[in-house]
Amino acid sequence: MILFWFEIYKTFSRWRTYISFGFIALIVILTEVVMKLSANEILYRMLRSFEKDFLIFGNVLNGWFVTAFIMNSLHFHIPFFITLVAGDIVSSEATSGTVRFLLMRPPSRGRIITAKYLTTLFYTMGVVIFLGLVCVSLGLILFGSGDLIMNYQVPVMRIVYVPEADVPVRMLLAFAAAVWSMTVVASLAFLFSTLAENSIGPIIGTMAIVIVFYVVGNFPFDFFRTLSPYLFTTYMIFWQRCLDNPIPWQGIAKSAAVLGFHSIGLFSIAFAVFNRKDIKS
Amino acid sequence: MAGIFFLLSTGLIQAQEDAFRYLDSIEKKYSGLKDYMADVNVHFDIEALKAPDMQATLYFKAPDKMKVESKRIFFFPKEGGFFNPFLFKKKNFEARLVERSIYEGRKTVKLKLIPMNPDAFNKGSGLTIDVDRNVIREIKILPSEGREITAVIDYGVFDGFDLPVHIHLQLDIPPSEPGGTREFQLGQGGKRINGRVEITYSNYKVNSGVSDDIFTEKEFPGSKSRPR
Repeated sequence: MILFWFEIYKTFSRWRTYISFGFIALIVILTEVVMKLSANEILYRMLRSFEKDFLIFGNVLNGWFVTAFIMNSLHFHIPFFITLVAGDIVSSEATSGTVRFLLMRPPSRGRIITAKYLTTLFYTMGVVIFLGLVCVSLGLILFGSGDLIMNYQVPVMRIVYVPEADVPVRMLLAFAAAVWSMTVVASLAFLFSTLAENSIGPIIGTMAIVIVFYVVGNFPFDFFRTLSPYLFTTYMIFWQRCLDNPIPWQGIAKSAAVLGFHSIGLFSIAFAVFNRKDIKS
Repeated sequence: MAGIFFLLSTGLIQAQEDAFRYLDSIEKKYSGLKDYMADVNVHFDIEALKAPDMQATLYFKAPDKMKVESKRIFFFPKEGGFFNPFLFKKKNFEARLVERSIYEGRKTVKLKLIPMNPDAFNKGSGLTIDVDRNVIREIKILPSEGREITAVIDYGVFDGFDLPVHIHLQLDIPPSEPGGTREFQLGQGGKRINGRVEITYSNYKVNSGVSDDIFTEKEFPGSKSRPR
């Protein structure tokens, strides 16, 4: 536990750690202000399939919708912020030449790498929770509260209506799922970090995999569709299902399990690699 | 040849006059209806719209003002969802009597209405009118751009006026262009909006002097209360 807090202290002592929080705050503020100014355009784009045949009354563009909208737009970018720390947490010891001092101390390699991994997860959770807090608080201030309308395109286009009373719990679930998803990205960057001796490689490597998987998984060709179930990025958007109606628990459980196995697997490899790491050369 | 043309044209004119006679009877019947307000409950049974029942208050003021007030988000069908007896004006439609029939044991006529304005969204309607009560029992939006909507209306008597207590809407609407927040996802694409909407009206207040102010728009923090 002491090791964990020590790693937390080290991580949060670096200015690099706060880049993500700063950029997230900036992006969310900018997005929400722009959304406030171009509310009609957003609503038109969102509801055009229904506006032809339905009159829609009430505060559709509320804080909850804005939060879901931003989460949806940012879940592609958040992995980058996570890799900034996760990709650096082990490799930075090699870069700064402290790895030998670290491993000469009494705590075992296993305890050290576990403490670093838990710190990575703590940071990942912090980033997603920070995103949620900024989105929701600013969203509710600027746009007010209301029922949540989600426009799903998969598996078929449909509008989903979540009553206002249910939305906070659904949002909590969605953010918990988002944390769980980002844990895989963090684990991947963490593994690369144990393999590399500088931070750039793990960051670029992780982002390259995430981007390639996203692109491949979304190509509308049968060949890529058959690959899609084998890509972890396919399951990373399962937070959206928490806002569906009714909640598809089976699908959520499957995605959470797949992602969980990925995280455990990636950490296990990182653990083994770190335990066998040659620090003499 | 001229004789056949004459017979056909007089038949057509006769059909038009008959049709407008029935529409005029409805308008005359409701001439005393200045306004009404009612509680509305909308139940959706549509795969493309997953929503619980929605409640609102609907205000109508003759001849064509309508407003829905709801504290929550409210979806309301644009066509066939609410009752306006003054909707089918002579100047706006070409009307033709299609047939006389029996509908649920009552004498009815079927009219076909085509809007005069060729740019109108609604390309035409078929009305089934109960000729004894002078009420519209069924509105069928004529298929255009693949859309088909049928509204069946049940009435109750409120302050001497037959007003809807239940409207059963059957929708079959083609998908629009995808839009919204998930454009990066490639799913199976659009699906027809197909299903039932049950609209129940209750707690009518008829000719209570609904103020014009109700129909002026008010803004919510993030969007607008007017129909979007």
